[in-house]
Amino acid sequence: MVEVRLYASMRAAAGEKRFFTDASSVKELLQQAEGRYGKEFAARLKVATILVNGKNIAHLKWRRTRLQDGDVVSIFPPLAGG
Amino acid sequence: MIGGYMGKVLEVDLNSKQVKKYALPHHMLELYVGNKGLGARLLYDLLPPATDPLSEKNVFIVTTAPLTGSGAPSSNRFNITTKSPLTGTIVNSNCGGDFGIHLKKAGYDALIITGKADRPVYLNIDGENVSIEDAAELWGLDTQKTQEKLPPKTGKIVIGPAGENLVKYASVISEERVAGRGGVGAVMGSKNLKAVVARGDQKVRVAHEEKFKEICKKWRELARQHPATGEELPRYGTAVFVNKCNATFTLPTRNYRYGTFSEADAVSGETLAEKYLVKNIGCRGCPIACGRLVEFKGKKIKGPEYETVGLLGPNIMNADLMAIIEFNYLADLLGLDTISLGNTLGFVMEAGEKGLIKTNLAFGKIDGISQAIEDIAYRRGFGDEMAEGVRYLSQKYGGEEFAIHVKGLEIASYEPRGAVGQGLGYAIASRGGCHIGGGYAIYLEANGPITVDPLTPLGKPGLVVLNQTTMEAVSSLGCCIFTVYMFLPRQLLELNARSPFASKLIRGTFLYGGNLIGRALSLPAWTLPVKPPFIMLPQVWAHVYCTGQRFTLGRLMELGKRVVNMDRIFNLREGLTARDDTLPARLTEELQRSEEPNSRVPLDKMLPKYYHFRGWSRDGVPKAKTLRTLRIDPQQSHPAAAVSSESATTGS
Ligand code: SF4
Repeated sequence: MVEVRLYASMRAAAGEKRFFTDASSVKELLQQAEGRYGKEFAARLKVATILVNGKNIAHLKWRRTRLQDGDVVSIFPPLAGG
Repeated sequence: MIGGYMGKVLEVDLNSKQVKKYALPHHMLELYVGNKGLGARLLYDLLPPATDPLSEKNVFIVTTAPLTGSGAPSSNRFNITTKSPLTGTIVNSNCGGDFGIHLKKAGYDALIITGKADRPVYLNIDGENVSIEDAAELWGLDTQKTQEKLPPKTGKIVIGPAGENLVKYASVISEERVAGRGGVGAVMGSKNLKAVVARGDQKVRVAHEEKFKEICKKWRELARQHPATGEELPRYGTAVFVNKCNATFTLPTRNYRYGTFSEADAVSGETLAEKYLVKNIGCRGCPIACGRLVEFKGKKIKGPEYETVGLLGPNIMNADLMAIIEFNYLADLLGLDTISLGNTLGFVMEAGEKGLIKTNLAFGKIDGISQAIEDIAYRRGFGDEMAEGVRYLSQKYGGEEFAIHVKGLEIASYEPRGAVGQGLGYAIASRGGCHIGGGYAIYLEANGPITVDPLTPLGKPGLVVLNQTTMEAVSSLGCCIFTVYMFLPRQLLELNARSPFASKLIRGTFLYGGNLIGRALSLPAWTLPVKPPFIMLPQVWAHVYCTGQRFTLGRLMELGKRVVNMDRIFNLREGLTARDDTLPARLTEELQRSEEPNSRVPLDKMLPKYYHFRGWSRDGVPKAKTLRTLRIDPQQSHPAAAVSSESATTGS
C-alpha cells in the first residue's frame, strides 16, 4: 500500500490527514484523490507540490512516477513562512 | 525632502546626556534607503573599529524606512543594528512591533544611542522633547510588565532580565514582536537602558498620495489572492513549514543529527491551528497576519513561530506542542532569542550524552527546561555558561564538530544537508548562521512550491546571490521579508504544476541560469533600467510613489548588493576573514542519511563561485572596483554635522 499524507489546506479540503491506496502511479493516485475529495481539493491540486518519499515529482517522472508498496506520497499547497 | 522620510535622526549619548538632531545627507538616503541598509552604513561610520560590543562605546541604532508608518502593507518594520556581543559581527535584527511607526511620528527616521547610563534608565522621546528617565522600578521586570508600566499609546522597545544580565542572545521586544537575533538586548542591557519609548503626532508625507494609496490597495489584494500569503500563512502561521521541512529532510532534529522527526505533525502549524489557535495576530497594517494568539493556562498569549517550534521541538526531541508554547512564552517574557536558546539546549543535551558536560538536560525530556531557561536569563549556575551560547560552550567543553553555529550565531531551523544552497547561505550571512541574511535558498530547493535539485551544488551560488540580493533590498525598503514570497506569482505556480515542460524551464532557469544570474548581478544598475513587474515586486512600486524617486530593477539589485558589501566590509574591518565563512563539521562531513551520498554540504564547491559573483577576491574581500561600482565609500566618516545639540532632561 502507498500512504498519502495531506497537509495544510489540502488536509482541510480533504477533511482527513491521510489515506492509503494501491495506485501504481502518481497520476492514478491523484485521480483517486480528486474523486474521493471533490472539487475544492481538485482546484487546490492545481498549485500543489507532490513529493514521493521526500522527492518532488518534478525531479522524478512527474505524474508518471511509479509507486511501490511502502511509498509515502506527501501533498502540500504552496507555503510561506520562515 | 524625499517623500516617506521625516528628515531627522536623533542621537543620544547616555554618558553626557547630550542629544543631537541632524539630517542625513541626501546621497546617503538614496544609496542606503532605510532599515537594514541605512543601519549598516550608520554603524560603519559611527562605531570605532574593534569596539567591545558590551562596552559603552558600542552604538545601538534603530532605523526605519520610507514605507514605515506610511500605510503600505507589511511595511511597518524597524531594524536594530549594532555590533553583536555573540558574534563580534554586525547584527541587524528586524522587528514588526509598532516602535518604528511611533519613532517616525515623533519625527525621526533613526535613533542612535551611544554611551552608558550610570544607573538603569529609559529613554523617553516625545516629539522634540527627549528625556532620560529613571528605570529603577522597571529593572528586573519581564518584557510584558515593563511594557505595561510604560506610558500607554506609545511605541516601545524593551528588554527583559536576559538583556539586563547581558545574556549573549538576549532579545528586544516591541508589543509581542521580537528583534531576536545576535544579542541586541544585551547591548541595551550593557548601556543600562531598559527601554525606549516614542510618541508624536507627525505624519509620514507621501510624495504621490493617490497613486500610493491605489498601489497599496492592489498590493493588499495581491497578498490576499496569493495562495501562500493569502491562505496558508494566515491559516497556519509560519509553523506550517514544520511538516514540509520534515518531508524534505530539512527539519533539524536531535541537535541537527537528522533532518526528520517522527512526531513532526504533533508540533506542526496544522496542529497549532487545530488545537490552540484563538485568532490570528500580526504586525501593524499587515493583511497577512501570520502571528498566532493561542490559549495557554487560561491566558491568551502569542504562539510560537516556525523557528521556535523547530528548535524547541524536534531539535531537542520534544513533541509536546503545549510545552513549546510555554517555553516560547517564557523566553519572550525574559527576553531570550528562541533560535539560539533551542540550539544551546540541543548542544548541551548532546554534549551531556557524550559525557562532555554534566547535565540533567536530555533529548526528549522536557522536565528541567523551563528551569534552564530561567537559569540562562538570570545567569544562575550552569545557566551562566549557557548564556554565552554554543560557540563558547564548545570551545570550553569540546564538541565543536556538533556545535551548530556560524561565526558564533546559532543556525536557524533549516537543516542544510537537505538543501545545500541554504548551507552556503548560512556560511556567508553577515551576522552568522542566519537563514534570511543567507538568502533563504531553501525556498527554491526544498520547502517552496517550485524547487530545484536540493542536493546539487550546481547553480547554487548564483541562486544564493539572487535571493540574498533581493531580500536585502526588500528589507532595506522597510518591508517584511515574507512579502518576497509573491516573487513566485500564482500564475507561475499554476504553470509549473500544469506543464512538466514549463516546470523544467522554470527550474532550469533558477538552477542552470544561476551562474548567468550571478554574473548579471555583477553589472551596474543602469543595465536594468526597468521597473520590476508589479505582481512580483509590489514593494518597489509603493516605494516609488512614497518617495517620489525613480527606482528600477537595476537600482533594487544594486541596493541589495550594496547592503551585502557594506556588511562585509564592516566584518572585515572587525577582523573576520574568509575562514569564518564556514559550517560546523557535522554539516559538511557527516552524511545526514547514509543511503544518500550527497546529503552533506559541499561548501568548498560553492564558496569560491559565490565570492566571484559578488566581485570579491578569493579571500572574500570586496575588490576596489566592486565598491566603486556600488558607490560605497570605504572611508569612515560621521554622517552629518550636528544641526542642533542640547541636553536631555533627566527624570527623577
Ligand atoms: S507577514 Fe507576518 S511577520 Fe510579516 S509583517 Fe505580516 S504579520 Fe508581520
